[in-house]
Amino acid sequence: MTDGNPRSTAQIAGHPLHPMLVPIPIACFVGTFLTDLAYWKTANLQWAVMSSWMLTVGLIVALLAVIAGLIDFLGDARIRNLRALWIHAVGNALALILSLFNVFIHSRDGYTSVVPTGLILSTLVVLILLVTGWNGWAMVYRHRVGVSGETP
Amino acid sequence: MKAKLALCACTAAALAACGPDPINPKRQIGAQPYLPPIHQYLFPPMHVVKNVGWGDAAPKPASGLQVRALARNLKNPRSLYVLPNGDILVAETEGPGEPASRPKQFIFNWVEKKAHSSTKAGNRIVLLRDVDGNGAVDMQTVFLDHLHSPFGMALVGNDFYVANTDAVMRYPYQEGQTQITAPGIKLTDLPGGPIDHHWTKSLTASPDGAKLYAGVGSNSNVGENGMEAEKERAAIWEIDRASGAHRLYATGLRNPNGLTFEPESHALWAVINERDELGPDLVPDYFTSVKDGAFYGWPYSYYGQHLDPRVMPQRPDLTAKAIPPDYSLSSHVAPLGLAFYTGATLPATYRGGAFIAEHGSWNRQELNGYKVVFVPFSSGKPSGMPEDVLTGFIDGDQAHGRPVGLAIDKQGALLVADDVGGTVWRVTATAR
Repeated sequence: MTDGNPRSTAQIAGHPLHPMLVPIPIACFVGTFLTDLAYWKTANLQWAVMSSWMLTVGLIVALLAVIAGLIDFLGDARIRNLRALWIHAVGNALALILSLFNVFIHSRDGYTSVVPTGLILSTLVVLILLVTGWNGWAMVYRHRVGVSGETP
Repeated sequence: MKAKLALCACTAAALAACGPDPINPKRQIGAQPYLPPIHQYLFPPMHVVKNVGWGDAAPKPASGLQVRALARNLKNPRSLYVLPNGDILVAETEGPGEPASRPKQFIFNWVEKKAHSSTKAGNRIVLLRDVDGNGAVDMQTVFLDHLHSPFGMALVGNDFYVANTDAVMRYPYQEGQTQITAPGIKLTDLPGGPIDHHWTKSLTASPDGAKLYAGVGSNSNVGENGMEAEKERAAIWEIDRASGAHRLYATGLRNPNGLTFEPESHALWAVINERDELGPDLVPDYFTSVKDGAFYGWPYSYYGQHLDPRVMPQRPDLTAKAIPPDYSLSSHVAPLGLAFYTGATLPATYRGGAFIAEHGSWNRQELNGYKVVFVPFSSGKPSGMPEDVLTGFIDGDQAHGRPVGLAIDKQGALLVADDVGGTVWRVTATAR
């Protein structure tokens, strides 16, 4: 346990939890964007129903990912000192707030549950995730957060 | 800490109620209601009152009237029917339950559960008899059991009809009978499950007895379950009593109840629950004569041709034909019961007019409805503003009961079914 990599605190047998959880909200929010697009184009309500489920599941798992991420953040000063972390954290907080609004918008009935506000919000969230996801990967693959083994 | 709590409360309130100030409901009464601009919520307000029961209390009648409980401890009494010999039928009933298809519906189902009576209804019809004519029940029997969310009742000759949520059933009836054990015969299927959002099927017979009319409510608020789910719904069915064949008598009526023929003009009237989530004052519920072949807008438009942006694709061909109803009752009052006054023992002002039971709002910050009102009539048309007949169902944020079905008994008293209060109230003139 003396290697120089920033350590993950929320982990099971050396496997950090945060990276295990984040694919679910990412897939859900990207999926929402796609099904919102499909609903806008087809007005087939099945797509809007899928959007509202994916948003809900995405938000719930995102909350767990936030908790795991916060524990890692508090557990190792080397993580807190990464510049990439701040863009990652602030960007994702914004994405989650927008998604929370979006879940309310998607609770409306019919066309205005998606067009235009819902679709605008799910598009913005995907754009933010492109940046924050890039940052998140940089923290692991470049800055070796939670990576076991020796520093080069 | 206090500040934090206050902030939380404000955020919650802002999320729930952030919307326009409600207007005075009086501006939405009558033929030309004021219709404010549409407001779509971030989250619709849900103001559910706590059901506390009546204890020793009773609703408050208008002056000149008095009220007594005819029967208590009923299980969800929702509709009433008076037989020719004076026996009173009470449908103890509840909805078949709606599966949740969206996350929102889990929340709505939970809220609605709180708003409705927690008593399990037997899905049966109970008979109340006043043997000595003193206005009190001397005998109570189970008239008809093992029904499927029954609501509408009608007697034509010796044929007794029950509108279950999924079918109109016919049973043989002899005057004086207190229990029907004969198996029913299905006259026609009605649109029932699997969603069955608006499940109460109101029923009445034409004055000549040849046809039955059934109110079939929509399967959604505004078509969000897809238009396939709305086949032959949001309509009043005309059913041939001999063959069981039906046609759609009128359409575009979101949830029609209280189907009754007006005694003077013999026109069919009904009370209609309009759509939610367009603001505290949209769309007004209404009371209207129902014209043969007419389209009243749902889901594409409301109050004639005011388009609802939530419905896609729109149907300009249908909207162009949509007609406005006769008489607005103001928004979200949830009218469910209707009875024209054909008796002679209530004060003369009530003769020929209409009593309407307003079950009361739940998706509006300021409560509306929760009372029985009277609309005066002359020459078969409403001729004035509604007056309160029975109030006091609400006490602050608590509900003693909620009025639903109405009927006029043989002595000319007004009967009010109160589902949450488990009571049938009997309104008579005060003794002089």
